[in-house]
Amino acid sequence: MQHPPDDTRHHFNETLDAVLRGTVELGALVHENMLRTTEAALENQLDLANQVLAADDEIDQKYVALEHRVFEVMARQQPVAGDLRFLVSMTRVLYEIERSGDLAVNVAKGLIRREGYTLPPAIHSLIARLSREAAALFRQGLDALADLDPEAGVRLDAADDAVDDLVGELYAVIAAGSGEMGFDVAVELSRVGRYMERIADHGVNIAEHVTFIVTGSFPEESAATSDEG
Amino acid sequence: MTTPDKRPPSRRFEVAASPTSSNSDALFALEDLAVSYGAFQAIAGVTMNVRPNEITAFIGPSGCGKTTLLRCFNRMNDLIESATVSGSVKYHGVDLYGPKVDPVEVRRRIGMVFQKANPFPKSIYDNITFGPRIAGYSGDLDDLVEESLTRAALWDEVKDKLDEFAPSLSGGQQQRLCIARAIATNPDVVLMDEPCSALDPIATLKIEELMLTLKQDYTIVIVTHNMQQAARVSDRTAFFTVDVGEEGQRTGRLVEFDDTGVIFTNPREQATEDYITGRFG
Repeated sequence: MQHPPDDTRHHFNETLDAVLRGTVELGALVHENMLRTTEAALENQLDLANQVLAADDEIDQKYVALEHRVFEVMARQQPVAGDLRFLVSMTRVLYEIERSGDLAVNVAKGLIRREGYTLPPAIHSLIARLSREAAALFRQGLDALADLDPEAGVRLDAADDAVDDLVGELYAVIAAGSGEMGFDVAVELSRVGRYMERIADHGVNIAEHVTFIVTGSFPEESAATSDEG
Repeated sequence: MTTPDKRPPSRRFEVAASPTSSNSDALFALEDLAVSYGAFQAIAGVTMNVRPNEITAFIGPSGCGKTTLLRCFNRMNDLIESATVSGSVKYHGVDLYGPKVDPVEVRRRIGMVFQKANPFPKSIYDNITFGPRIAGYSGDLDDLVEESLTRAALWDEVKDKLDEFAPSLSGGQQQRLCIARAIATNPDVVLMDEPCSALDPIATLKIEELMLTLKQDYTIVIVTHNMQQAARVSDRTAFFTVDVGEEGQRTGRLVEFDDTGVIFTNPREQATEDYITGRFG
């Protein structure tokens, strides 16, 4: 983070930097797990799906530790202004990241449940695209956080429409083929679509929190203000 | 479909074991310590440990005996004729009040910084060298001055005016000079009695930064009226209160002593919670 040149609160600044770094690293672990779960789902690799579940335990531990740290820093350092926005937002960002990790786990669990089922080519291709787009949006949310880029919120919100369109396409294909694949599988595959859509949303939310950290308002608030003007 | 969707992990914030429970890592071990001034019992029943290379903060309302207690750590209460200390204070396992202990040596190893900066009416240079000279310091005094002032984060501000009259420095600079003077005698511990109460917020934050750096080399015990300061800088915090007896006699008591994170997020005692949240009557 950028700190004033007269580093009166050097130790506090170091703590804030460590919270930011730890959160971005946690996000990177979740992103890695998303890629793992996608590969497992597309390649029907059950052992990889089990690795996703194992990796999430470490993610959860790190999440709880970071959340506790933020809580304690707020209690001890009496943050105000930018520091307060940063720390309060980090509790939310951490939650977005942790939930994204859980969604990746849900995809892996779904794969384990429908063990042996091979995806029809049309659905395979849609899930591949959707997973790629969702993980990319999540990753861009993390990049916005690492760089504290206030512009990313608006940009990612616009990019999210493409993900929503893909989910719509996936639902249509599943609905058309549901008789053939059976109700349970149709529901499972629809849920994969839903999870991926949520992962993308979490990425957008992270970027919007960054906008708030840097500017003091959320992208929709700024947009509403400029519309009024 | 038997496996449910994953939910967020439960949050269990671990509460550390009570610091009063272990003796093994104590630099100071206080056992049932009490101090009275004549018939007035200022503080009683204090049992606690102070760990090396940590900042231990004492907080509590006026009259709770925290400064009185601090003064037991380097036998400053010896200088008050009516003061009586009972119980024991062990320092590195040695009874600080034992018959063979020299209080002057105690105060060299356990330095003190006071509420109001009190530089000697001498030059900045002489303020640093005064104590070491008396103690027969044989090293290079120029080096000692530079090292002490650097450690106290004051060197850059005064290096070109070491001959200047110390009381002409700003309040914050004077207090850092007093810290430099305290560490020039190479102590093990620095006691601080409300070191920032006369300083503005920026000068206060500079002293706090300094404390966080100094704890790598020294053990610090600080009395502060400013509980936010205790929250910001200390590793462990002791909260004291005043008990009022039937005849109106007021005696300080240790209520709770724990990791500062615990004290300021989840104290065990309601009295601590009431005080730190400003609901103390």
